[in-house]
Amino acid sequence: MNHLIILPVAIYLGAGFLIPLIARKDEVLAGIAGVLFTFLVFITSLFLSIDVFTNGRIVYFAGGWEKPLGIALMLDPLSCLFLLMTNTITFIIMLYSTVYMKKFTGVPYFYTLFMIMLAGMNGILISMDIFNIYVFFEVASIASFTLVAFGLKAEELEASVKYTVMSIIASTMITFAIALIYGLTGTLNISAFMSSSAGLSPVHLWFIAGLLLSGFALKTALVPFHSWLPDAHSMAPAPISAILSGMFIKVVGLYVLIRITTNIFITLPQIRIVLLLFGVFSMLFGGLMAYGQKNIKRLYAYSTISQIGYCAIGLGIGGYLGYLGVLMHFIAHGFSKALLFLNIGAVEYMTGTTEADQLKGLNDRMPVTTLFGSTGMLGIAGVPPMGNFWSKLIIIIAAIQAGYPGIAVLCIIVAVITLGYFLKLQRTVYYSRAEESVKAEAPKMLLLPMGILAVLVFISGILLIPGIRQHSLDKAVSVMENFSYTDIKTGDLQ
Amino acid sequence: MIIYILVALMFFTGLYGIIAKKNIIKIIVGVNIVGYVTSLLFVIFGYKWDGIAPILTQDMNYSQFVERAVDPLPQALVLTSIVIDLAFVAFLAALAIRIFERYGTFDIDKIRRLKG
Repeated sequence: MNHLIILPVAIYLGAGFLIPLIARKDEVLAGIAGVLFTFLVFITSLFLSIDVFTNGRIVYFAGGWEKPLGIALMLDPLSCLFLLMTNTITFIIMLYSTVYMKKFTGVPYFYTLFMIMLAGMNGILISMDIFNIYVFFEVASIASFTLVAFGLKAEELEASVKYTVMSIIASTMITFAIALIYGLTGTLNISAFMSSSAGLSPVHLWFIAGLLLSGFALKTALVPFHSWLPDAHSMAPAPISAILSGMFIKVVGLYVLIRITTNIFITLPQIRIVLLLFGVFSMLFGGLMAYGQKNIKRLYAYSTISQIGYCAIGLGIGGYLGYLGVLMHFIAHGFSKALLFLNIGAVEYMTGTTEADQLKGLNDRMPVTTLFGSTGMLGIAGVPPMGNFWSKLIIIIAAIQAGYPGIAVLCIIVAVITLGYFLKLQRTVYYSRAEESVKAEAPKMLLLPMGILAVLVFISGILLIPGIRQHSLDKAVSVMENFSYTDIKTGDLQ
Repeated sequence: MIIYILVALMFFTGLYGIIAKKNIIKIIVGVNIVGYVTSLLFVIFGYKWDGIAPILTQDMNYSQFVERAVDPLPQALVLTSIVIDLAFVAFLAALAIRIFERYGTFDIDKIRRLKG
C-alpha cells in the first residue's frame, strides 16, 4: 500500500515521455491517452486520500534505505488535500485542452510539458526532504516557463522572460538557504533539521528563514514580489493559465509557505507578522489594480494576487479559524479561478479576443458560456452559497478574534471591490447589447469541463458542514496546528 | 571566513547582473554567475584541507577515514544543481533568440508591450 505514494509522480513522468511516441502514430489518440493518464492519477490520488483521511499519514523512505539515509516521502491530510485538488482540476483541464489546443502546433509537446509540470507539483506534495522539494520545484517551474511561451507570440515570449528571470532569483535564494541548512546542520531531512535547529544561533535561523520565505513568496506572487504574475498568467494559453492560477502558485508557493510557517520554523512566530503584511498589501494592491484592467485575462490575473492575499492573511493570523479559512479559500478559489480562465479561453476560442472593449453582448451570442462565467465571478466575489463566501467570512472572524479589527475591515472592503470589478465586467461585456448578434456557442467539449467546475464552485461550501468537515478539513488543520515528527502508528520521520 | 565574504561578493555580482543590466545576454551571464556561486557554497561546506576521496579501503581504520575523507553528499547535490542551472541558461538562451527574431533587440527597455 505504501508504495503507491510515488505513483502520482511516476505516472506523470512516464506518461509525459510516452505521449509524443503515441502522437507519431495518431494525434487524436495522444489526446485520449492524455485524458486517460490524468484520470488514472486522479483515481490514484483519490484512493490515497481516502486511505490517509481514514488511517492517518503514510511515511515512506525512497529506495528502501532506512531512516537517516533514505529520502523521506510523506502524505498527510494537508498534502492530500492539495494533491486531490491538483489532480481533480488537472483532469478537468485536460478534457478542455484536447479541444482548445487544436489551434496550436506541436500539441504532443504541450502534453509532455504539462505532465512534467504536474509531476513536479505532485512531487513537492509528497516530499519531506528539503532538497527533494527544491528539485521538484525546479522541474515544475522550468516546465511552466516553457508553457507560458508556448504560443511563441512576441508578448508571450516577453512574459516568459520576465517570469523566468524572477523565478531564477527565487530559486537562487532557496538554493542558498539549502546550502546553509546543510552546512550548519549536516542534514537535509526536514525533521532532522528540526531537531538540530535548536542548536543554531538565532541569526543563522533568521537568515535561512528569510531566504526561504522570500523565495517562496516570490513564487506565490505576494505583493513586493508579484510583478511577473499578471504578464505570465495573462499571456499563457487558457488551460495553462487555469492550472497556473488555480493550482500552481498554491502548490509551489502557498503549500511550502504553510509547511515553513507551521511545521518547520515554529520557533519564529515573527514570520506570521511578515506574512500578514504581505497578505494585506497583496489583497489591496491586486484588488485595486484589477479594477482598471482592459484585458479580461489580465484582470483575472490581478484578481489572483488579491485572492492569494486572503490566504496569506489567514496563514498569518493562525489558530483554528485562520487555518480553516486558508484551506477553504484555496479550494474555493482554485475551482472558481480555473473556471474563469477556461471560460475566457472559450470566449477567445470563438471570438478571437480577450479585450473588454471589443467584446459586447456575449449573453446573446454564447448564453451557456455566459452562465458559467457569471457563476465563477460570483464565486470569487463571495456571494453567499459559494465556498468563497464562507472562507472569506471565516478569515474575517479569525482576524477579529485574533485582535486585528483593521485587517477584518480591509478584508470586507476588498471583498466589495472584488464584487465591484466583476459586476462592471458583467455589465459591459456579458450582459450588454450588441448591434448584431449571431448565436455561436462554444463547442460541447469546452462547455463540459466548465460545467463540472461550475457545479464544484457551487457545492464546495459543503466541505464546511460539521459531519464532512471533521473527516476532511479538520484533519488537515490539525496537521497545521500541531505536527508531530514522531508517530508510533505510522512510523517516525526522523 | 574570508572565503564566505568572497562568495557573498560573487553572489552580489551575479545579482547585480540580473537586476541592473538591460541586455538579455548580460542577464543570462548574471544567471550563470549566481548558479556558480550556489554550487561553490555547497562545495565549500563539504571541503576539507588535504582531504581524501571518500572511499574506504582495507588499510584504513575508521577514525582516520572519518577524519580525512571529504563529504561526498554536497558534490552529489552540486551535480543536481548544475543540471538545473544548465536548463535555466539553455532555456533563456533559446528564448533570447526568439525575442531577437520578434523584437529585433536584446534591450529589455524596448521589450515592453505588456503594461498595466
